[in-house]
Amino acid sequence: MQIDPSILQAQPFLKGMTRRQLELLAKDSMQTEFGAGRRILNEGGRADRFYLILEGRVELELPVPDGEAIHIETLGAGDVFGWSWLFAPYHCHFDARAATPTKAIFFYGSHLHLRDLCEENHDLGYELMKRISKIVVKRLQATRRELAACKSKDNPSPARFVQQSAIEVEQF
Amino acid sequence: MKINTAILESQPFLRGMSGRQIELLAEESMSAEFKVGEQILYQGGPANRFYIILEGRVELESPVAGRDGVHVQTLVAGDVLGWSWLFPPYSWHFDARAVTPVKAIFFYGTRLRELCEENHDFGYELMKRVSEIVIKRLQATRRELAAHETNLLLPI
Repeated sequence: MQIDPSILQAQPFLKGMTRRQLELLAKDSMQTEFGAGRRILNEGGRADRFYLILEGRVELELPVPDGEAIHIETLGAGDVFGWSWLFAPYHCHFDARAATPTKAIFFYGSHLHLRDLCEENHDLGYELMKRISKIVVKRLQATRRELAACKSKDNPSPARFVQQSAIEVEQF
Repeated sequence: MKINTAILESQPFLRGMSGRQIELLAEESMSAEFKVGEQILYQGGPANRFYIILEGRVELESPVAGRDGVHVQTLVAGDVLGWSWLFPPYSWHFDARAVTPVKAIFFYGTRLRELCEENHDFGYELMKRVSEIVIKRLQATRRELAAHETNLLLPI
C-alpha cells in the first residue's frame, strides 16, 4: 500500500519538505507491519530499504556466534533506520528486530529508487541528506561518548566523570 | 590565505565535485597550521570550523577531569574534522589536538551552511559526503562499543 503524502508530512524526520518532495517520496513508499520478535534486517544481508517507524519498538543488535546478540540501540515511533543502502557495499551492518508489534513506512533505497531520485533531484537529495546527516552525527556523538565512558570505567576514574558523562548522554 | 583549487580537487573528500563547486569552496577556504600539542578544538567550545587535514596527525579525545583524555579517534592526511558546525547547538563534542605538526584547510561552518541552502546542487554533494563518512564512523564505533561490552562480560 502506497503512503498518502499527508502521513509523510506528519513525520518529524520529513518536516519542512515541500509538497512536491513528499509526493516524490510517497511514490516510492509502502506501509508494512511486523509481529513481535520478527526480524526486519539481517546483518550482512542486502540493504535496500529505509524505514520510518510509525508505531512500536525496534531493537538494533549485533549478532554474536553462539551467544546472545549485543544490544546497539532501541528505536521508537518517529525514528528512522537502515542507512546501508546509501553507500557501497550496500550490506546491513546490524540486525533489526521488532520488540513489539511494529508499523512502519519503508522506502526502496536501492538503484532506480531513492538513491537515483536524489541524484536526479538535488533539491530533494539535499533535504534528505541534510536530515540523515543530522541524525547520524547525533548518534555518532552519543556512541563515542558511551564508548569513552566505557573505556574510562576500565581504568578507575573519578566518580564525577562517570556521572557527568551519563547526564550528557541523556541530553541527546 | 585562500587555497588553490588544484589542492582542493585532489582531496579524497571532495572527489567528484564539479569545477564550479570546487571554486565555491576555494572562495571560502583558509589554511591553518598547528604545532605539536596544540589544541584545535575544545569540548564545549563554539563549533564553526570544518577542517580537511593536509599533513600530520590529530587525536580526537574525550576530556576527563584530572587525568588524560580518553582516545576517540586518530585522524591523518585526507581526513576531515569537525561536524558540530552542521547542527544546533553548534558546540564541539570532543577535544582535538595536533600530535605532530599539522597543516590543514578550514572553512567557516556558517558560510558552508549558507552555501548549501543557497545552492542545493552543492548542498547535496556536501551532505552526501558527510553522510557517508559519518555513517561509516558510526558503524565502526558501534562495533567497537559492542566488542568492548562483550569483552567485559567474558570470564577472565
